[in-house]
Amino acid sequence: MVSNIVLPILQIVVIIGLSPLVKGFINKIEARLQCRRGASLFQPYYNLIKLLRKDAVVSETASWIFTATPYVTFVSALIIALLVPVLSSQVPLNFTGDVILIIYSFALGRFFLALSSLDTGSAFGGMGGSREMTVSSMAEPAMMLSILTISLTAGSTNLSDITNTLLNNSILLMNPSLSLAFAALAIVIIAEAGRIPVDNPFTHLELTMIHEGMILEFSGRYLALIEWASSMKLLLLLTILVNTSLPWGIARGLTFSGLVISFGLYLAKIGFFAFLIAILESSFAKLRLFRVPNLLGTSFILAILAIISFYVVS
Amino acid sequence: MTEQLFILSIILYLVGALFALCFFRWQMAGNYISFICATIASCFGIATAVTMLSNGSSIRFNFLIYHAIIKYDFLIDHLSSYFILAISVIGFIATIYSLGYTKLYVNKRDTRFLGFTYNLFLLSMLLVVTANNALVFMIVWELMTVVSFFLVIFEHENPACIKAGIVYIVMAHIGAALLAVAFFILTTYTGSFSFDDIRFVGANVPTIYKNIVFFLIIIGFGIKAGIFPLHLWLPMAHPAAPSNVSMVMSGVMIKTAIYGFIRFYFEFLPPCPPWWGFTVLVIGSISTLLGVMYALMEHDLKRLLAYHSVENIGIILIGIGLSMAFKSYNLITLSSFAMIAGLYHLINHAVFKCLLFGCAGNIYYATHIKNIEELGGLIKRLYITAPLFLVGALSISTIPPLNGFISEWLLFQSLLNGFNIPSVIIKVTTVICGAVVALSGALAATCFIKAFGISFLALPRSEHAQKAKEVPLTMLISTGVLAVMCIFMGLFPVKIMMTINHVNTHLLGTDIMGAITSYDWLQTRSIHTNFTELSPKSATVFGLILFGITFGVLTMIRPGFTKKIYETWTCGISPESRLEYTATAFTKPFRIIFSNLYRPRREINTIYSVPKYFVKSITYIGEITPIFENYFYTPISRYVLNISNRVRWVHTGSIHIYLAYIFVTLLISILVVIILD
Repeated sequence: MVSNIVLPILQIVVIIGLSPLVKGFINKIEARLQCRRGASLFQPYYNLIKLLRKDAVVSETASWIFTATPYVTFVSALIIALLVPVLSSQVPLNFTGDVILIIYSFALGRFFLALSSLDTGSAFGGMGGSREMTVSSMAEPAMMLSILTISLTAGSTNLSDITNTLLNNSILLMNPSLSLAFAALAIVIIAEAGRIPVDNPFTHLELTMIHEGMILEFSGRYLALIEWASSMKLLLLLTILVNTSLPWGIARGLTFSGLVISFGLYLAKIGFFAFLIAILESSFAKLRLFRVPNLLGTSFILAILAIISFYVVS
Repeated sequence: MTEQLFILSIILYLVGALFALCFFRWQMAGNYISFICATIASCFGIATAVTMLSNGSSIRFNFLIYHAIIKYDFLIDHLSSYFILAISVIGFIATIYSLGYTKLYVNKRDTRFLGFTYNLFLLSMLLVVTANNALVFMIVWELMTVVSFFLVIFEHENPACIKAGIVYIVMAHIGAALLAVAFFILTTYTGSFSFDDIRFVGANVPTIYKNIVFFLIIIGFGIKAGIFPLHLWLPMAHPAAPSNVSMVMSGVMIKTAIYGFIRFYFEFLPPCPPWWGFTVLVIGSISTLLGVMYALMEHDLKRLLAYHSVENIGIILIGIGLSMAFKSYNLITLSSFAMIAGLYHLINHAVFKCLLFGCAGNIYYATHIKNIEELGGLIKRLYITAPLFLVGALSISTIPPLNGFISEWLLFQSLLNGFNIPSVIIKVTTVICGAVVALSGALAATCFIKAFGISFLALPRSEHAQKAKEVPLTMLISTGVLAVMCIFMGLFPVKIMMTINHVNTHLLGTDIMGAITSYDWLQTRSIHTNFTELSPKSATVFGLILFGITFGVLTMIRPGFTKKIYETWTCGISPESRLEYTATAFTKPFRIIFSNLYRPRREINTIYSVPKYFVKSITYIGEITPIFENYFYTPISRYVLNISNRVRWVHTGSIHIYLAYIFVTLLISILVVIILD
């Protein structure tokens, strides 16, 4: 019973609490790589707090869709936070859904964001929304294929079961199909989270921005919710990747020591991937928009190879 | 009891049809009476289906007509009841919708015929799914085609409507001809036209003929269902027909073809070889993907929805094809599960497509515009239609927790189970089908963001959109009911799965309810598969709780939160609808990425004023090449026209010559018979 209450709260706190830090960490590393000192590690928190304390300016053209969007995006990210194994391989909302629900919950948030981008009648918004939908649609088949491959290998679409199975039979992780699937998934995650080389989160130039274009009209509390949701999305996607590809060390039950070790390892793993992202972002330029499908096509091919090798090996 | 209910329903439809014709002077009154008859009739239809599905065993009855050559016998079994349920529910709601929508035509045209054909249309669909004799089936199938043809050309002074109608009826008849051939092949092995004899004749038919029948059925029913590339009539007929008719046509009429598929592939023809299921699976995937891709480029709201019907029929066929493949390998449980996914999507599509067509009708009623590029800002004018359309849009884009997501989820689960099939090709294909379904889901979402965003949000782009007013109550109620159904079918899927399972127990002979449901923490049933479980209602409950907490915390942080209303920043000029993003622009990236398929063409003409530095006007023409029309249908029609030109000289117009033809034909036939004997 205790676990039913403690675990969800713990997970939500970890995801909500850590997600701005991941962004701050990536920014810091990138600054370091560029020989700058960079903003504080905690700058994203300061931004969020500042935004939360402000009033919002809303366009007179906008409708209730615009006001509802930040909440929908944020809550859908929270729901996903309860469906993903974070510190323990046990998942709070194990019984409500699986990885397919997760993918489509992300789609829910995106749907509303893209709608609200059209709501204010500004051309920038529409541009961002259109590009966001393009990139995410192109990413969808590779994402689904790699997820399905992982599910087939583990015999479940439930992330908790997947993590458990891979933890107990680590030999499965040596499977070429899984490595290919994880590689495909990694590319998709970069696209979904809107990082370089697909999208540049720092740009505010109308010709280049994707995600930033969509949220251009938001301010105050609304912007805070959306920014927070997008950093949670990055962390959640990384968590899925980390806890399926490197499940070692994750707590199986709910013991205090287990959770502490698990938390430490979780930080290390996420930190490692965040570091990789920072390196990647520093060494590549953003791709031209119409080169992005090629990248995602590569990911799709990897996923196809994964599924074929899964059937050939087994 | 059930039989009487069904016959009452038939009689009421007929009465309604006749009433509509009777009133010449008070057409509105006649229409009301006929639509009310249809409403009551569909209630009886629902009652029939519900009693059948809850406890009944199959019922057969026939109409005794003296000296009839054909035995008019009908059979209501569980599969029929499921379709009767879908037809009656959609019929009921669409009829209520019609009460308001026909006001559009009052004093403008003769609406007697609308009421008449509409009633007959609903009736003919009921008869199609209950006919128990090949000849009767063909007769009512034809009735359905002809009646719906008249509904398509209701606005007959518009040449586009006539063209749509002609294309529809020609294609439908090609389909009907193929079906007739299929039936004749089967009946040569039974000696009777009754379905009772045709049922399970599959074992006696040689493989080659069975394969021929398989392809005849795919094309024959495929035309009606609108699978790619036989969909040509669908995007033409839907914008032509009145919206209430589109609701029924897209909602249920195209599903009668799915009924035909199931009857043939699960009752008449088994045992089926695995490659049949595989073929249906592949055809379904192609239909899904290309349907949504053409929908994406469409800016006429009703054409867009019609292309989405092509997509969704594809998704249903993926379920059916998978079910066939599983059945061929004797994996009956999995076959039943895939069937549940397919039939669940069938009823889902009926509901949300009906809802979307209803909302498109609302928009048309309020603005007289079908092109979304001229709409905009409707969310503040059609403030009730907007959320209803949004529910439909979310549903068709497979967003949780609405019903579209549930059936797609079920489909993913059964596609995953494809690993049980021994054939590696089918195994790999099932997973790739999953990717196709995921891609089309994402594209559908893009398409509906475009459709909703451009037509409802931002500033109105035309005067008509500016002046739009909310539509009559009956239209809002009926679309509202559909939206509520979308939500309920998304939150409580188990009830519908149980119903379909009941159908399956009779069709496939297995009851898998225990295997696919489990009791969750609320002690209510949730979906359970060998891969995982899903309880959409709990997810929604948690979502609402989390929303409450988020909102509460935010209010605590800043209790005096206010919104300042200010105009959108448009770089210094005042916001105008001309500055808004358009549907064409929104889908531009897809046109570039998939330029191999779309082959977009654009033409920009700039006219300069006398000093060449100032542009006077710019015209922009952008279109995509309809590949299948240009490279598939046009050559065929040209070829047919050529041939008919060649044989034209036979038709002299003189009756003597024709009598001579008849005489010669008779002689030859007699000779052939004599020689063969």
